[in-house]
Amino acid sequence: MKGRTAGAAVAVGALLLTGCGTDDGTPVLTWYINPDDGGQQALADQCTEEADGAYRIQTSLLPNDAPDQREQLARRLAAGDSSLDIMSIDPPFIPELAEPGFLAPVPDDVAERTTEDTLDGALAGAMWKDEIVTVPFWANTQILWYRESVAEAAGLDMSQPVTWEEIIDAVREQDKYISIQGVRAESMTVWVNALVESQEESILVDPAASAEDLETTLDSDAGRMAAEIISVIGQDRLAGPGVASMDENQGMLMFQRDHGSFMVNWPFVWAATNAAAEDGSIESDVPDDVGWAPYPRVDAETPAAAPLGGINLGVGIDSEHHDLAYEAIECIVQPENQAEYFVTNGNPPSSESAFDDPRIEEDYPMADVIREALDEAAPRPQTPYYNEISEVIQDEFTPISGIDPDRAPQRADTFIGEVLRGERLL
Amino acid sequence: MSVTTKTRLGWAIAAVLVLGYSLFPVVAIFANSFKTPGDLGNQRFWPTSWTLANYEMIFVGQAQELFLTALRNSIGITLIATFIAVVLATLCAYAIARLDFPGKRLVLGAALAVSIFPVISVVTPLFNVWRQIGLYDTWLGLIIPYLSLTLPISIWTLSAFFRQIPWDLELAAQVDGATQWQAFRKAIVPLAAPGVFTTAIIAFFIAWNDFVYGISLTSTEAARPVPAALAFFTGASQFEQPTGAISAAAIVVTIPVVVLVLLFQRQIVSGLTQGAVKG
Amino acid sequence: MTDTVKSAPASRRQREKPKKSERARAETRLGWILAGPAFVIMLAVTAYPIGQAVFDSLYSFRLTAPDDRSFVFLDNYILLFTDWGFWRPFLVTVLITVVTVAVELVLGFALALVMHRALKSLRGLLRTAILVPYGIITVVSAFAWYYMFDINSGFVNNWFSWLPGISDELDWFSNFGTAVTVIMASEIWKTTPFIALLLLAGLAQVPDELVEAAKVDGATRWQQFYRVTVPNMKAAIMVAVLFRALDAFRIFDNVFIMTGGEANTEVLALLAYRQSISRLEIGLGSAVSVVLFACVLLICFVAIKLFKVDLASGTDAGGGKAKKGGKG
Repeated sequence: MKGRTAGAAVAVGALLLTGCGTDDGTPVLTWYINPDDGGQQALADQCTEEADGAYRIQTSLLPNDAPDQREQLARRLAAGDSSLDIMSIDPPFIPELAEPGFLAPVPDDVAERTTEDTLDGALAGAMWKDEIVTVPFWANTQILWYRESVAEAAGLDMSQPVTWEEIIDAVREQDKYISIQGVRAESMTVWVNALVESQEESILVDPAASAEDLETTLDSDAGRMAAEIISVIGQDRLAGPGVASMDENQGMLMFQRDHGSFMVNWPFVWAATNAAAEDGSIESDVPDDVGWAPYPRVDAETPAAAPLGGINLGVGIDSEHHDLAYEAIECIVQPENQAEYFVTNGNPPSSESAFDDPRIEEDYPMADVIREALDEAAPRPQTPYYNEISEVIQDEFTPISGIDPDRAPQRADTFIGEVLRGERLL
Repeated sequence: MSVTTKTRLGWAIAAVLVLGYSLFPVVAIFANSFKTPGDLGNQRFWPTSWTLANYEMIFVGQAQELFLTALRNSIGITLIATFIAVVLATLCAYAIARLDFPGKRLVLGAALAVSIFPVISVVTPLFNVWRQIGLYDTWLGLIIPYLSLTLPISIWTLSAFFRQIPWDLELAAQVDGATQWQAFRKAIVPLAAPGVFTTAIIAFFIAWNDFVYGISLTSTEAARPVPAALAFFTGASQFEQPTGAISAAAIVVTIPVVVLVLLFQRQIVSGLTQGAVKG
Repeated sequence: MTDTVKSAPASRRQREKPKKSERARAETRLGWILAGPAFVIMLAVTAYPIGQAVFDSLYSFRLTAPDDRSFVFLDNYILLFTDWGFWRPFLVTVLITVVTVAVELVLGFALALVMHRALKSLRGLLRTAILVPYGIITVVSAFAWYYMFDINSGFVNNWFSWLPGISDELDWFSNFGTAVTVIMASEIWKTTPFIALLLLAGLAQVPDELVEAAKVDGATRWQQFYRVTVPNMKAAIMVAVLFRALDAFRIFDNVFIMTGGEANTEVLALLAYRQSISRLEIGLGSAVSVVLFACVLLICFVAIKLFKVDLASGTDAGGGKAKKGGKG
């Protein structure tokens, strides 16, 4: 009796498990998307319609953080999951997925068509070992946002490139807080890497090296300089009391309030600040006081290499629909769609021609600054061991109030080497 | 008379303290769930203006898909796991309370050992097996591990309940010609039902609470339960903190707990105390 | 314990009497039919994976480099035991276990006494109230406590800014002392009711006459409690402490939600999670898992051997028919 009911329960459970499937035989492509404002869902619907029965795209949401997204994707790929038809991947994690052959090769013609006018920075993020392994979808970069009132009071000429030093002095002098990302998270690696790359150096010597031979060069003049800038902001409490938990959003909130002055951040802050001013959670005249400029330089003579973010689209090797998936990807990444996505979701295109869309200029008056930054932007260290490198950098460079600029870079180098050789725990 | 008044006052104070202790954090997150984004940054306890926006977000808004599917997963997986655990534990506890057979101590020892098992120690191997046999990110892939959480305490609690049942009734039934199985069903099940029910509530709490299996053995809304989904919430933009939505979702998943506690306080207390210590 | 002693001769007696053997065999069969499924499932989900974990822990194996899997024997363990990155979470885990269990014991006793002595009219209310933290999801508790103390949204800094050391600028989760305090507070809040209920059951078993007798002898309340009540519920206390200690040693949810291990608050379970799930280093992660399991076993072993905690008392391992004659 009891046994029978238990059996029934299992049967019911099994029924629920296998409940889904297509009714009409149209191949269903699953697109694993990172959280956004619904833009990817809209594109999925649009391309499904355009496909006219050739395929149907359904979306599945990945976690919030890029490292968590990587974790989910890597585990599913390793599990041989055939549902990974299209994946939205953050560029730094592409080598780790490409190296073991988890990604289906991009057909030559697709690669050619989709990267025709891709901005250089974004293209670099789509490659592994000189091959295009994913298709660029959108690209992101940080620029310098500032309160015009503060810059003016400090006597800074923002029409010319400014340096970190100048900003720091201005903040100190005006008794304001600078918005950076001081939280122990991926954003710390973004910052450190941008500071190093802005000095025309790279954290990695040879990206393709094996785990045993991988070397990092944080312990160099460029690395120490980066640590110096971060530590000055930390030790002199120039980023306010909440620096240890300050991420992109907290930084923006501080920037919008009384102590706001300068901020390095992604373009999403523009739409968010306007929205906040409209719904009354901040003073309505704040957006008028916001200005923008290229990412700050480390050295006055050397153009800055702003951080590069964004999303590329990849196809899982075990997907049963490689061709259809790439067909769908081509539909998704059309320049018009990229432009639309920027306007609706605040994520800039990776394609240069998409920037010509008139709506962009209207909604994002700083689009030119962004496009130029994307051409100069430098990807984070491209290696299958990016996760380890990033974790160590986060470890050694936070809390930013306590880093020793002379020793932290060297410790980071040693730590990374030991972790990758399996001599130390991360 | 004055002594009584004093005692009453003392008890009133004690009661307020206990209530404050038990409910304060719940009230705090309850208050959060009604705050506007602006209020969430103002460091006050209560909202300055109450809003339902956070509940709208998880039930009809942007977080709807994430939350509602997770809620469905949680309810479905937890109920099925609870049901199977209680059925199996009832049989097992009956054998333990009633029968004398070699291996009984082994079963009890196993229940004990499993109840002290660090879940984190088994998720990696389970993940590997699950991905090979296709249970990764499925309901069944969570139901089975949940049994390992719920079975031990169910067996304990039920064994304790069953010891208190007047088994002579069963004997009487057997004398009347019923087999042991029939005697169990006809005479004992009605008496044991309250204990089984209590066990089900406790098992439900445990399965409902799981987090480690939830985040390790799922990766999409196909099976992700609410506690794991809470860690996946996103704000209005990629970088915004989802404090309000998480608070609202937290309150929603706390409602079943509060309802069960309000309705079955007596049973839960007796179940927990009898199952765990006899003295 | 008495039950156990009695059951042994009982079963021997059965074996000696051949006419009972048919019946005994049937009983054994039925016993295993009934208990078997639960037994098999419990073992399948724990014993097999831990065996697999032991096996995996001898390999260097990264999920995203499946071709580089290699046998390294004890290297993963050597790495752990020679690395502060292991010992720090280990010590943090021990600290959290010791402090939370100690505080919970005191607080749990207070709650148990209140519930035990409470006026009838209050009893239901009090029990209902303390069951709320017991039943609430740990992750929800973690978020509730996190938001209370969070520098951006929390009211604690605002309310208690008159206390020295607390101000608007205090970021509770950025340094070890304050972060671990909030983590422990959440853990204590959520699990004290469990310990209180176990102690309540123990209190119920202390004979009232003993307490009365002590009162007659002129013992103060404290003496009554300390000399009479506590010694008479030693078993209940030991079981409660052991269970909570084992549970606290496995702490994960609170740390994961509140700090993710930042500010040096990493605990062993989180270390295991990070190695195998976040870093996808299956070998190393398995090694941490095995060590965590060994620690739990060790605590259990020490408690049972040294402190003679009788865990089986609750399930009546002596069991069945022998019991009926035994205690009645």
